[in-house]
Amino acid sequence: MNSLEELISIGSDWPSRAITDWKQSGKKAVGFFCCYVPEEILYAADILPVRMRAPGCAETTLADTYMSHLNCSFMRSCLQYALDGKYDLLDGLVFCNSCDHARRLYDILREIAPARFPFLHLISVPHKADKDMAGWYAGDLAAFKAKARDFFGADISDKRLRTAIESYNETRTLLRRLYDLRKRKTPPLTGAETLSVFLAGCSMPKDEYNVMLRKLLTELESRAGISDYRARLMVAGSGGCDDPNYFEVIEDMGGLIVTDSLCFGSRYFWEPVAVREDLMLALAESYLKRPSCPRMVDNVVARSDYVKQMARDSHVDGVIFQRIRYCDLWGGQMLHLEKHLRESEIPILSVDREYSLSAMGQLRTRVQAFLERLEGD
Amino acid sequence: MEQKTNVLESVGQTFSLIRDMIQSKAGKDHPEWTWIYELLADHYAEVCAARRTGKPLAWVNFGAPPELFHAMGIVPVVVDVLTGTLASSQNAVGYVDTAETRIPDYICSNNKILLGAALAGDIPIPDILVHPAHPCDSNLATYPVIAAHFGFPYFCIDMPYFRSDRCIPFVAGELRKLVAMLEEVTNEKLDMDRLKRAMHYSNLAHEYMLKVNELRQAVPCPYSSLEAISEYGVVLSLAGTPQLADYFARRYHLTKERVARGEGHLTREQERHRLVWIYGAPTFDMSLLIWLEREHGAVSVANMNNNFVMKPVTDISDYDSILAGLAEKVILLPMTRECGGPWENWLEASLELLKGYRADAAVFAGHVACKSNWAVAKLVKDKLHDELGIPTLLLEMDLFDPRVTSSDILKSRFDDFFDLHFPK
Repeated sequence: MNSLEELISIGSDWPSRAITDWKQSGKKAVGFFCCYVPEEILYAADILPVRMRAPGCAETTLADTYMSHLNCSFMRSCLQYALDGKYDLLDGLVFCNSCDHARRLYDILREIAPARFPFLHLISVPHKADKDMAGWYAGDLAAFKAKARDFFGADISDKRLRTAIESYNETRTLLRRLYDLRKRKTPPLTGAETLSVFLAGCSMPKDEYNVMLRKLLTELESRAGISDYRARLMVAGSGGCDDPNYFEVIEDMGGLIVTDSLCFGSRYFWEPVAVREDLMLALAESYLKRPSCPRMVDNVVARSDYVKQMARDSHVDGVIFQRIRYCDLWGGQMLHLEKHLRESEIPILSVDREYSLSAMGQLRTRVQAFLERLEGD
Repeated sequence: MEQKTNVLESVGQTFSLIRDMIQSKAGKDHPEWTWIYELLADHYAEVCAARRTGKPLAWVNFGAPPELFHAMGIVPVVVDVLTGTLASSQNAVGYVDTAETRIPDYICSNNKILLGAALAGDIPIPDILVHPAHPCDSNLATYPVIAAHFGFPYFCIDMPYFRSDRCIPFVAGELRKLVAMLEEVTNEKLDMDRLKRAMHYSNLAHEYMLKVNELRQAVPCPYSSLEAISEYGVVLSLAGTPQLADYFARRYHLTKERVARGEGHLTREQERHRLVWIYGAPTFDMSLLIWLEREHGAVSVANMNNNFVMKPVTDISDYDSILAGLAEKVILLPMTRECGGPWENWLEASLELLKGYRADAAVFAGHVACKSNWAVAKLVKDKLHDELGIPTLLLEMDLFDPRVTSSDILKSRFDDFFDLHFPK
């Protein structure tokens, strides 16, 4: 098995082999929602941070007794998995006030399943990225660090935290190199493969992941590039876009996904953490400076610019702007993004979707029409 | 040439029409029913004149402190009052449709009406838009984007997720930044004397309002169902003005006399049920409240949107104290207080209201766009039943758009609810 196959295999399972191996060694693993949770803090405590997903969740019957059909199906699927016991191997969950759906999932689990998740925490993240906000965020991160330290009896010294940040920064560098390869005229891997590689990193120790990524990058140098595509595409939009099969549906039609603006993608790793003496402030400032989610109110133009820049850098023919239905945050951004891309003559296909792959026929039809339009252009 | 609509003028006319209609039908017996509409009609006259008189206009969301705007000579247009009034006069759905050509349908219609009116060119673009970071994604998602789209200044009053000791200083800091921005908009420095005057009037109104709130808990309820919901529009628009202080002074004396006489809006015998709306109200058809009184003897004694529990700002001697006091008010304004932060905020506020107002049923006007409330509606309903033995009616509806759930369907839901929980 080469590195690509191995990473894809790790990324495709829930729970991943990496999580079960880690747990079998007697260590703790904590799930987290949203990329405004600085997982370096957990990693420094020798706790495996696991990005929360609910892959393959086909129905949400139990979850729907609590949440409503008006709630995002990603969060409902996560609640379903929590109630099904599929997260039982985790020692806790960490949230932030990323969106209304996520913060309420935290509330529901606190109320109905406190014994299942004895460590539940929500980090209060500001909605603006100025200096005062970084101070607030840093304060909340310090509280989170203290709680994790006390609860798990962990050592989260500055030295360990610096080492963790270094490991994470290396991941960020390596993933950027992976994305650089996709800018080629004949990229060495598909969008679905890239997402699988990315997902592997969401549930394995970053030091091991980095070794595999380095190996992968070497292997990809000699891999034949993909040239039989009809158009180069970018996927942008809301969270919960974590299923490589979704990308496969698009790529089976002849589109090749060469970049993204996703929290299960480039926005997670694009900017490194700039280390400074006060590490909580360093994390807070760096996380606030990353390409943002529309939960941040002061970055409307920058967010659309980021999509445009990524599209240009990767020579994209069109952008698929997907949103999980009921995601207000990305729904609002649509007003600005569509206009911004059209003014830049970048075609955009706007799609609402559910977390599960339940309406793929409709997606195929729309992607087919989009590709024909791009070919016509 | 086709006459261009100006929704500010339409809303002002709606208030005048309501005032005149009440005056002609019930003015003799209930002159107080016109008071709110008189205030709002006058306020909208000022809003409509702002461009002519050179006063800056601010769009403010439910939750921004009006005192600051009045002190700085800025005319605040509370967008929620504007959109709600458009909805109640059946002038909103066209704007919802216009907005849905640019943003998804599941965004809150409150935001869509504003966006639709702006896209249609039916509302003057403001000099600034201000809103707090709580309570919902829909505000966070749309207000900054609308400001960016139309290119006008924008300010979000951010606040920590949990209420703690650091909230007030933090929000006070945000208000300080807001004032700096408003000074740029007005090109004038904040006049402390004017601010103190606004705070004086605000406090006066608040002191009366808190006394009225206590009186309103009497059985039978001295307020009509419509009165119990309508006041929030004037409080959010006019806090900090002498007009609001005068209104609540008159309200207090009238309500006090009425309670002393044991008088309610309905008689004790007629008042069969006391409803508390723990969230929302049927904005597009408030006559539903009158129907509830008539058909079921159900008085809507309190509404979360109109539940102002903040205290007056005790120290108005200097700028820092005033900002700290206003910060506390911002944190505790309706909606921000209940729907921002953890679900217990909503639960505790609902319990307080239900107990305080001696309610026998709760109503959740479940706006389809209020995802955070829908996510925990079952938890709240179960807790209210467990702790108070009170049933809650969960209604799925769009508060501003009758096309989602019509008044007739809502009425039949109420009929069933009363049959089930209060069989005759």
